[in-house]
Amino acid sequence: MLKEELETTAFLARIDIKEEEKRKYLEDINKMFDYIKILQEPDVTDLKPTTHVTELRNVWREDIVKPCSKEVIDQMLDGAPAKEGTFYKVQKVIEA
Amino acid sequence: MDEILTNRVEDLRIKICSGKVKSKDIVKACFAHIKKIDSKIKAFLKLSEENSLNQALQSDDKIKAGAKCGFLEGVPIGIKDNIMVKGERMTSASKYLENYISPYDATVIEKLKAAGAIFVGRTNMDEFAMGGSTETSAYQKTANPWDIERIPGGSSGGSAAAVSAGMVPFALGSDTGGSIRQPASFCGVVGYKPSYGLISRYGACALASSFDQIGTFSKTVKDTALLTSIIAGKDYRDPVCEPKEWIDLHNIDDLDILRALKIGIPKQLLDYKTDVEITKHFNKAVNKLKLEGVKIVEIDVPAYRYVPALYKVIMCAEVSANIATFDGIRYGYRSPNGKSLNDEYAKSRAESLGYEVKKRILFGTYVLGAKNYYRCYHQAQRVRTLLINQITDAYKKCDFIFSPATLQMPVKFGETLSEECDIFLIAANLAGLPGITVPCSFTGLGVPMGVHFMGLRFSDAKLFQVANAFERISEFDVNKYPTL
Repeated sequence: MLKEELETTAFLARIDIKEEEKRKYLEDINKMFDYIKILQEPDVTDLKPTTHVTELRNVWREDIVKPCSKEVIDQMLDGAPAKEGTFYKVQKVIEA
Repeated sequence: MDEILTNRVEDLRIKICSGKVKSKDIVKACFAHIKKIDSKIKAFLKLSEENSLNQALQSDDKIKAGAKCGFLEGVPIGIKDNIMVKGERMTSASKYLENYISPYDATVIEKLKAAGAIFVGRTNMDEFAMGGSTETSAYQKTANPWDIERIPGGSSGGSAAAVSAGMVPFALGSDTGGSIRQPASFCGVVGYKPSYGLISRYGACALASSFDQIGTFSKTVKDTALLTSIIAGKDYRDPVCEPKEWIDLHNIDDLDILRALKIGIPKQLLDYKTDVEITKHFNKAVNKLKLEGVKIVEIDVPAYRYVPALYKVIMCAEVSANIATFDGIRYGYRSPNGKSLNDEYAKSRAESLGYEVKKRILFGTYVLGAKNYYRCYHQAQRVRTLLINQITDAYKKCDFIFSPATLQMPVKFGETLSEECDIFLIAANLAGLPGITVPCSFTGLGVPMGVHFMGLRFSDAKLFQVANAFERISEFDVNKYPTL
């Protein structure tokens, strides 16, 4: 991982990294990269990748809107750092 | 410590239900013991003394009035701080969730409430369960009760230490890559990770969803089986949770089970530098099993060597996706320094998450990027298939796979464990298999070491029978508690 790649990755992951922290992140992440090189060793071209150990399949159900009690709405909103009415409040997304 | 605390859950629940022991007394004894020793151990992040005592009084009244008892009526339990209890704070040992109040009960909590259990407090852990020492907790470091200069292991170090020191008779934890079984082994208690899909994770804070399972800590295998019987079972709110068949976890006493058993020991055990004492006690355990009539066979799983690397890739990739939910918008920490929406996300996460968490998110994001996806992530998933195939083959020769729980003893604070230390535990997560660690012996350090049995998926009931039989022949004294 190069410094520019760390910066792009940090933006994608929405983590603000200070200039002085970059060296340590790069050092540690590159160490992890060295460590996982071993995974190139076996020939697994014929094997299917495992994403899950269960045989997951789609579960279909009717799309029915259920009413939500005021208690639950309040509880959900209570945890919000900023709110207005029954909405979460965020910074302006569209710039003028 | 008060003798009442040395009761096993199997006896305690009956004593409480018959009125021989008051729930109030056991709960009071728990808190007295916690107050006396937890300043040294720091197993608990938060205690619910008033609530617990009220609940205990209610249970006692119920019993006195002759009402029907829950299965765990009035029995105290510790809960890892990444499992939601409605109306209670849940931090996952992170600053991000410092003020988060759980809006609903996790499925396991719902079931425990229905059974009448009492939640005495929240146990410490590595931040978002990322770590193997409980040192990445944003709040405190938990000590190993057998040697307070050493780590208890992790990530469920608080639960392990609390049960080990007798503060609670049992506790819940979560296990993504050995996070229950490794600290259980370090602290000398039984630690169990169920088959993937046996216990619902609804209401637990996700780490790596294709590995995560909720599991248990207790002093004995029987208590583990008992607790599991309460919390296991299908749940539509966790789509992977569908045990194929109902597992009877109540009758695990089968003294003859060892006689007809084939146990496989991985040949690969010899490839690693294992602590000499662990090797010595493990070999003694193998001999004991042989004397009981167990047939020991050697199994060959060459892909064990890829376990730490492939766990790192897949776990971090899943972490980066799961932790994306912590954006500072709907709940949790929001930075006051954000200049735009993106900046606010980035600063909220930067200011509230610890280094280990951020490192894993970054590594995970990077291996999922277009440049590395095929070479790293996809490759790791294929190596995962290779490992699963080899383990499946190994089970043609044996019923259970047996190994030391860890290859090292718990280190002192600040020291690090090797990458390979938990390899035999992590394999169970990668393959979705049930695993249980049982205390085996005390080593010269005065700290316990444990062994690990791993079974086929949904063989959990038989796994308990085998572990229970081993517990009976193990030289470890479960009635011994650390002196603090």
